Amino acid sequence: MTLTPIRPATPAETPVPRRARRRALGRQDGVAHLFMAPWLVGLVAITLIPMLASLYLSFTDYNILSAPTFVGAENYERMLDDSRFWASARVTLVYVLVSVPLQLAFALGLALVLDKGLRGLPVYRSAYYLPSLLGTSVAVAVLWRQIFGHDGLVNQALGFFGIEGTNWLQNPSTALSTLIVLNVWTFGSPMVIFLAGLRQLPEELYEAARVDGASVVRQFASITVPLLTPIIFFNLILQTIGSFQAFTQAHVVSGGTGGPVDSTLFYTLYIYQQAFVNFDMGYASALAWVLLGVIAVITAGHFLLSRYWVFYGDSDD
Amino acid sequence: MRELSRRNFLVAVGAAAGTGILASCSGVAGGSGGSGERTLRYAFWGNTVRQQNYEQAFGQMKSALDITLNVEFADYDAYQERMTTQMAAGNVADIFWVPSPHVMTYEANDLYLPLSEISSLDLSDYSEADLRDFELAGTLNTMPFGIFVPVVRSNRTMAEQDGVEIPDDWDWDWLADFAADYSKNAGGERKALSYGADHDLSFEAWLRQHGEQLWTEDGQIGFSADGLGAWIEWWEKLRTSGATTSISEQDGVSPSWEDVGDRCLLWFGNSNHIVDDSAMYPETDFRLHQPPAAADATEGHPFLYFPRMAVYQQAAEERAELAGEVVGYCTSDVEMQKVVGLTMGVPPNPRVAEEYAQFATPDEQEMLRITTQAREADRLPRYEAPPGTSAWRTTFTRVLEEVTVGQAGVAAAAESMIAEIERGISRAAD
Repeated sequence: MTLTPIRPATPAETPVPRRARRRALGRQDGVAHLFMAPWLVGLVAITLIPMLASLYLSFTDYNILSAPTFVGAENYERMLDDSRFWASARVTLVYVLVSVPLQLAFALGLALVLDKGLRGLPVYRSAYYLPSLLGTSVAVAVLWRQIFGHDGLVNQALGFFGIEGTNWLQNPSTALSTLIVLNVWTFGSPMVIFLAGLRQLPEELYEAARVDGASVVRQFASITVPLLTPIIFFNLILQTIGSFQAFTQAHVVSGGTGGPVDSTLFYTLYIYQQAFVNFDMGYASALAWVLLGVIAVITAGHFLLSRYWVFYGDSDD
Repeated sequence: MRELSRRNFLVAVGAAAGTGILASCSGVAGGSGGSGERTLRYAFWGNTVRQQNYEQAFGQMKSALDITLNVEFADYDAYQERMTTQMAAGNVADIFWVPSPHVMTYEANDLYLPLSEISSLDLSDYSEADLRDFELAGTLNTMPFGIFVPVVRSNRTMAEQDGVEIPDDWDWDWLADFAADYSKNAGGERKALSYGADHDLSFEAWLRQHGEQLWTEDGQIGFSADGLGAWIEWWEKLRTSGATTSISEQDGVSPSWEDVGDRCLLWFGNSNHIVDDSAMYPETDFRLHQPPAAADATEGHPFLYFPRMAVYQQAAEERAELAGEVVGYCTSDVEMQKVVGLTMGVPPNPRVAEEYAQFATPDEQEMLRITTQAREADRLPRYEAPPGTSAWRTTFTRVLEEVTVGQAGVAAAAESMIAEIERGISRAAD
């Protein structure tokens, strides 16, 4: 018979009474809640409660000054006959469909250039990121007025070549384009994310491709893009949601009217007009919920379609 | 270190939340403590120069009345947004300026304390006719603190350079012919006029001369599609013939004084605009003229527009009495006017207007002169914009944009504007 030496129990193996364990976990919960409290209070007080209030108000006639009265789905039905609702939806859709792909293309293109290991990369990165910080500010929107105005920089440059420009912001056929340019210009944020993604791509794949004689274009199409699809997807979702919510630029550039002739009447601007100019808070709430629904559907659509074009390193595909 | 129990944690969170709730209930800093503290909240709008002037004047007022004002200031758009949220929260300043699109909306929702309930407000300087003019729906519940009238402002320096004379007595046809002729023959980029169809007071002057009104006493639209169409047509003829600056040059259908002010001989605007606008071109002399009027213009067409301030309906009696002293000082003390000037128009208080005349700048003298003419004229009643029409100016601008870019004909645009405004009135009335 051999004797098995008795190993002293480690603390992890020491049986802990259930009550003591629960107490210890409770203490941890308490601390965790304490740290989460500011965010939770913020979430409930300034997001969740106002959202629920807005949902209720969307079924009421509410002019802010007197108590809301329940009107059922009337506000939602009203949208069908509201020509400005459709105008704002069209403007916003065009803005999203044109500016998001352009912005992502610029961001990716520049990230590829910066990924080549340029000297002074941090400076370039910061410089290109700067418009993202400023792009949605009032100051830049005011600057845009100066650049695209009748006597602005663009027309002065065109004048140098003998071309007479227009007031780009006062022409209904060009006003939205200038705001799209402004949005594309703020490509710094997706660019930084692309750059981080490019840094993660394994070099050995490129070496193998080069050995096989793949051109730069082929390497980009067959290695860079497929491996970067999760990052592209992430940026696509973020920028799409952000573009649906664009407000400041149109508000400043058009003086809050969405003009000329509603050509810059972004959906959010229309919500603002209904809420704060017309005091039609019930209708504005309904408009806001429709926007939320549209963004949710489009985001869900993106996720559904992503299985066909987004490749994750750990998937079996 | 003492361990945090669940109980202590919940107590801490509860205390923090309770403190937050109590803090939010206390409203904006500066409310009167009620224990004899003479402090009020005063909300108004403008640019930074106006803010500085008013704060200086309120400093003077503190010495005179021993009342401290906690000022809530913003530019015009931001001011309206803040008022909206403050109204929703029932946390409006004790004294507030009333944005013109919302005068009757606020009135319909009982935001104003009737001034007859404030014994500290002395109105003895005003005639009965003046006080009737100030009333809204038969009640004196807001206090005008300025008077504007629609004017045509001429650039006297430019007129002298070009050898033209602007008469004081003119009609619309004469002005149209003159504008076409001047713009054709003036050198450089000079034009007779900016395109000013969206200037609301001038449009109102046109309507009243043609027997119509902007709004009726019972809160409806007071003009016809024909009346509006004729106004737009008058401007379209000038614009398309090159008598006005182009929409592109002037940065939209609302002309930008910064962009084309120094190129236009004449400018449709409010009488009080001369103060701020002339500051932009200090070497230039300006003169104010009554708007053109046809020989057969309706009797009593001149009118006065009043910017108004009000005392919040929910102000407690003690605060309302303090507010009465402040409103009285703001409207009846020339010392206040000497600091803030006439950017908000001529003082409605006739005594103050007279006393101020000796301190007025040449531009302000012009304003006093032209306003006095309108004040002394026979005037049919004028009514404020009814509830539901707060966006009518935006609609007007959009309709003019549609016409000027050729997306709509004048008649169709006029019909659609009236229909849109009527829908707003009808919704507000439901």
